[in-house]
Amino acid sequence: MRSICGTRRGLLRSATAGSLLFPGIIESLWADSGDLIAPRQPHFPVRAKNIIFLFMTGGVSHVDTFDPKPELARRHGQQIDVNHPEIKGRPGYERIYLKRPQWEFHPHGRCGTRVSSLFPCVAGCVDDIAVIRSMHTSHSNHYNATLGMHTGSFAFARPSIGSWVTYGLGTLNRNLPGFVVIAPHQTYAGTQVYANDFLPGTHQGTLVVPGKEPVANVAPRVSAERQRIELETLREFNEDHLSERRADPLLTARLQTFETAFGMQMAVPDAFDFARETAGTLAAYGLQRGQTDGFGWQCLAARRLVERGVRFVELIDTGSANNWDAHGNMLTHEPLAKNVDQPIAALLKDLKQRGMLEETLVVWTTEFGRTPFNNTADAKGREHHPWAFSSWLAGGGVKPGIVHGATDEIGLRAVDRPVHVRDFHATILHLMGFDHERLTYRHAGLDFRLTGVEPAHVVRDLLA
Amino acid sequence: MMRPSQIPRIAAIFFVVAFLPLVTSADSTAETIPADHLEFFEKHVRPLLAKRCFGCHGGTQAQGGLSLATAAGWKQGGDSGPAIVPGRPEESLLIDAIAYRSMEMPPADEGGQMPAAEIAVLTKWVTMGAPDPRSGDGAIGGMTVAEARDWWSFQPLPADTAFASRDIDALLEREWNARHLAPTPPADRRTLIRRATFDLTGLPPTAAETRDFLADESPDAFARVVDRLLASPHYGVRWGRRWLDVVRYADTAGENTDRPLPHAWRYRNWVFEAFQRDTPFDQFAGMQIAGDLLTKNQPTPRHAEGIVATGYLAIARRFGHDIDKDIHLMHEDAIDNLGKSFLGLSVACARCHDHKYDPINADDYYALYGIFESTRFAFPGCEPKGQPQNLVPLIPQAEVDAMMRPWRERRDRDTRILRERAEATNRVFSTEARQATHVVQTGDVAEGASVELAPARLEIRKGEVVLVAVEPNGSHGADTTLVEMRIREAAGAHREWSTADIIHTLTESNPRTIAEATWSFIELTRDGPAFLAEKADSIGGNGALKKWSLGDTPSVLVNSADQQVMAWTTLPAESFFVHPGPNRPVAIAWTSPLDGEITIEGRVADVHPTALDGVTYRFEHIASPATGLALVEAGRMLAQSAPVLETPPAIPVAYAVVDRELAKNACIQERGDPEKIGDEVPRRWLAAFGGDEVTTSSESGRRELAAWITGHPLFARVIVNRVWGWHFGRGIVASANDFGARGEPPTHPELLDRLAVAFVSDGFRIKSLHRLVMHTDAYQRASATPVEEDPDNRWLAHFSRRRLEAEELRDSLLMVSGRIDLSFAEAHPFPSEETWKFTQHRPFNAVYETNRRSAFLMVQRQQRHPFLALFDGADPNASTPVRPTTTVPTQALYFMNDSFFHEQAAALATRLTEIADDELRTTHVFQSLFQRNPTDAERNRVHRVLSAYQVDAKGQWAAICRILLSSNEFLTVE
Repeated sequence: MRSICGTRRGLLRSATAGSLLFPGIIESLWADSGDLIAPRQPHFPVRAKNIIFLFMTGGVSHVDTFDPKPELARRHGQQIDVNHPEIKGRPGYERIYLKRPQWEFHPHGRCGTRVSSLFPCVAGCVDDIAVIRSMHTSHSNHYNATLGMHTGSFAFARPSIGSWVTYGLGTLNRNLPGFVVIAPHQTYAGTQVYANDFLPGTHQGTLVVPGKEPVANVAPRVSAERQRIELETLREFNEDHLSERRADPLLTARLQTFETAFGMQMAVPDAFDFARETAGTLAAYGLQRGQTDGFGWQCLAARRLVERGVRFVELIDTGSANNWDAHGNMLTHEPLAKNVDQPIAALLKDLKQRGMLEETLVVWTTEFGRTPFNNTADAKGREHHPWAFSSWLAGGGVKPGIVHGATDEIGLRAVDRPVHVRDFHATILHLMGFDHERLTYRHAGLDFRLTGVEPAHVVRDLLA
Repeated sequence: MMRPSQIPRIAAIFFVVAFLPLVTSADSTAETIPADHLEFFEKHVRPLLAKRCFGCHGGTQAQGGLSLATAAGWKQGGDSGPAIVPGRPEESLLIDAIAYRSMEMPPADEGGQMPAAEIAVLTKWVTMGAPDPRSGDGAIGGMTVAEARDWWSFQPLPADTAFASRDIDALLEREWNARHLAPTPPADRRTLIRRATFDLTGLPPTAAETRDFLADESPDAFARVVDRLLASPHYGVRWGRRWLDVVRYADTAGENTDRPLPHAWRYRNWVFEAFQRDTPFDQFAGMQIAGDLLTKNQPTPRHAEGIVATGYLAIARRFGHDIDKDIHLMHEDAIDNLGKSFLGLSVACARCHDHKYDPINADDYYALYGIFESTRFAFPGCEPKGQPQNLVPLIPQAEVDAMMRPWRERRDRDTRILRERAEATNRVFSTEARQATHVVQTGDVAEGASVELAPARLEIRKGEVVLVAVEPNGSHGADTTLVEMRIREAAGAHREWSTADIIHTLTESNPRTIAEATWSFIELTRDGPAFLAEKADSIGGNGALKKWSLGDTPSVLVNSADQQVMAWTTLPAESFFVHPGPNRPVAIAWTSPLDGEITIEGRVADVHPTALDGVTYRFEHIASPATGLALVEAGRMLAQSAPVLETPPAIPVAYAVVDRELAKNACIQERGDPEKIGDEVPRRWLAAFGGDEVTTSSESGRRELAAWITGHPLFARVIVNRVWGWHFGRGIVASANDFGARGEPPTHPELLDRLAVAFVSDGFRIKSLHRLVMHTDAYQRASATPVEEDPDNRWLAHFSRRRLEAEELRDSLLMVSGRIDLSFAEAHPFPSEETWKFTQHRPFNAVYETNRRSAFLMVQRQQRHPFLALFDGADPNASTPVRPTTTVPTQALYFMNDSFFHEQAAALATRLTEIADDELRTTHVFQSLFQRNPTDAERNRVHRVLSAYQVDAKGQWAAICRILLSSNEFLTVE
């Protein structure tokens, strides 16, 4: 199957890069040793070549989705006493009571992993999924926890995980950015979550906002013929200029970028043009023909980007408002789950059917869980909960159909084989072929890495 | 000359033993010392040394070269040799000195001779063999005491000798032979003026400036260009912006909602002006650290300037949801930036543990922390704590009071009026009225339905009220509901009143009196009736639609046209409607002018079916004559425009800092955790630099800190290196923010020192430094592509080619398009503070367009400015000592398809078409973009494009301009 993918990429490449303005000169430019985006080998050989990172904004309740807690249902209304960051010194939270899960869990697939009725379609894919029920994080604030999940840092601006991966692996398609973020709205902590920070600028996430012009400045403002004249003339001016200035990489690289940009004008719309997708595919993702938004659109776009060699695609389902942050009423989880459930399942099946799942690591996560308690027994919502939440991995090198770790019987704390966000990152990097301690960048006199200075461990149980 | 470093005072250094882990814990010597000797040392000797000696002989800058802080210190001894000969007090210089024989220690001005008992202790100790467990080397952070003492960048500056531009060239030249480098020839003049103009002003030279320079054959032509540029009003913005890079200036706070800093611009502009005036750099630094204190007793404008300058500290990044909970991170950010900006040291690395490489301990960090904790930073507001506070007034308190007093008086008066108005409405639906209220009928109107009121016959008295109230079912905003009401006098004149009467005159007044009866349009609130007070004489541009409302809803409205209007729904011709809000019923109330019997009929219809729950109506009679009169009276009173509470007078304030009332020392936070409190540390200077303590007990210590920093040799080294690096693209120390162990060593150490000395002796003048550097051959040499022998151009055998920085690029586009506004901006057009409701769910996020110079663009911390981010603008979250240059395809897309770029190209094209013909236009555009004439080949190329574009001249030239403005030549400085 890999060869098919390879061929497709080859075709796509020749369909864009090959037809370009100034063939010949470009290949030689690519040979520059200072090329930051040339494909690179990771530290050790692995199956995964790309990542699709699904980020559910606002804090998904683990006990209502992927972490069944029958004991929590039984003990509903029981008062408990914990020193929790979200209730400390908070008026009205002097007493807290356990609150039962609001959705039924059933075993699914051959593996029998239990998933709640919020995710009926994803439940159908559990045999391809490794659920982590023992996730935990370092902060109970959206901003900090979201920043932490993306950059490993809970306070300071640092490079995003997507930037680290593209920094490590380079790109497979020069007509598209290596790291693409598709989000209808900004999430918490703004552009910092996909920023390259001190890594070279080429590794910054390119924001795609679902809609008619998904990437800024990709739509040409003059006709193709005129653009060709302008770029050809520009090349002549630049070549004259260059000829008087012995092979300056700064100048040659800039010629190359016009080449790539010209390609992007076609490659980007092509990646987001679903006209050639079959009715069956569109239906599977829940899309109407011509639709240019919705999470189904984001998922199908992710498959098409990965197909075209984009290394890291992040999909943000909502934004910093109207998301999973169900303080007021857990029932708001229903439409949010419905929004993503079918598209995610469709994406997993589509990748699998095309033989791409083996090479694509799919990550599903949120920034933290939600409390298994609240300040009254019949409170409708749940609060932020950094001590435990659920995430899952699928595809590229992940052991399928397993559950890793567990929370205690009421879903309060990750007790069995806990996985901190740092461990999660170390594991993701491992699946991409990197020793997280060796994927470093020297900045301001120090060697920085995604997982920071505190110890982080690869979760071996999750590896196929 | 460098100012002499302050001489450490004896008491100031007491802490060295108490807190500084000068002794490494794994100490083999300690194990071999007998327990009783060890005890004697710890109990008697160590405290004595600390009390009497460390003032001058502790730390690393020990007087006479002698340190008594470690065993190694006294073994090595000072200028006079080893201080102690173990076992032999009579041969030990230490004992000799404290006994006031050949030397007198401590000297009279440091407390004088020690008491005999203390002398006896030290003598006994030496007799014992001077058992000393303090590790041989000792260490401060990542260096031994000796290493710290000898570290190159901490050394005093050499003596001042004459130093001129040709001396710089001589120092550079020395390095070339060994490296087989040959210098390039001098740059041609058009290259030189382009280089110098961008360098000093960030703008391209005009055609006239280029022409003048080319024509000037005098030997000092270039020197005069440099002088002109240094005097240019655009210089300060350019070099001030470079300083803003270093201090990570931003216009937002960076906490979870990233709220605006509406007053930070004063600091930004002060920086620009300070560079423009060539403020001595030590003053410039001092003002930023302690301007409020240093100008305390000076005239108001100068003191205001001092306050504004401390904006440097105030713009420290804020963290978290409640920024007070993460205030230790703000302090870290402030200390980190202070260390890097002024000293080239990563001091903040010592927050959680002693520095791993440089001689900085956690104690040092918390010594500075105490200074900042004793400082009150302006509070930018945050989600749980609301709006900004502690902004610092720039005028004396008496003036503030004088401005505030009349405002307070007016505010009190208006508040009273508002209260009276509220009470008037409350009186209307009194208990009496409530008791007298009869519901005549009530009912539901289903979606889209029309319900006739059952005809009613009522006995009524003058002043009583009949009303129809409409309320949504459920809590949604409900619907546009048509209401008809006809009231007829049953006997006598058979007078009639109808809602139809008010359709054409609805907005004349509320309440509205027609034929002695009064109609009131009100919201029924729990506290009484609220008159719909906001009038609209058209809705959605349609003048036939008029309404009274409170906000969007609730409202009453009419379609006064004689035909239906298609708006949000179809509004039938000549009809009266009510539109309740969520949980906000609307009523029309009729106050009777008569005593007698009336009949009432009417209709309520939902005219906006939206598949919601329909509405409920209630038809009531309030049989209390006082009620209607009170209602009308209240309505008339409310119709008088209510006083609007004035916003407070704009006191000029700065986002700045002042000292707290009480200055106090900070405690160590173990492992950087503010909840794990350790020992208190006195506020003081870095131990490696002498560790002087804050002496003015009533102040935070920023005054002393400013003096310590500006008096240290690092201060001059770091800034001259920055200026050099900004001119040449690379500093003599490439890591401009790090002069410590992890930084790069200087390529030309002597050059760095000589520049620093010259800078100091010249009064810390940046403009003099520019002249010194720019008058060199090195600065005026031709640029070249780096050679293999020197890929980074460390040795400066040629000038480094560079891409325009983000601001230079945007400013150049605006310059050539003629659209640039070169005036100074002040405040950004932020929404006013009263309206802020930023949350982490809905943080502040804006991009403000402006044709002013790009240094005035509004820069956010949480959201990068799209243009500045694309072209490697400074990081608004961390100090940017050197702008990186990335070359990415999205930049090319900017030149191909960005609307701002296309607009500037079109504006330039329009200007060109005012010139007579294509030949002259070509010459003109090449001159203004590249400061040269086009070649024949280039003219032909232009002709080719012109003929290929079959559009008007503006269109053709817009294409040419796009090409030329995208070219490497436009984007590059040679």
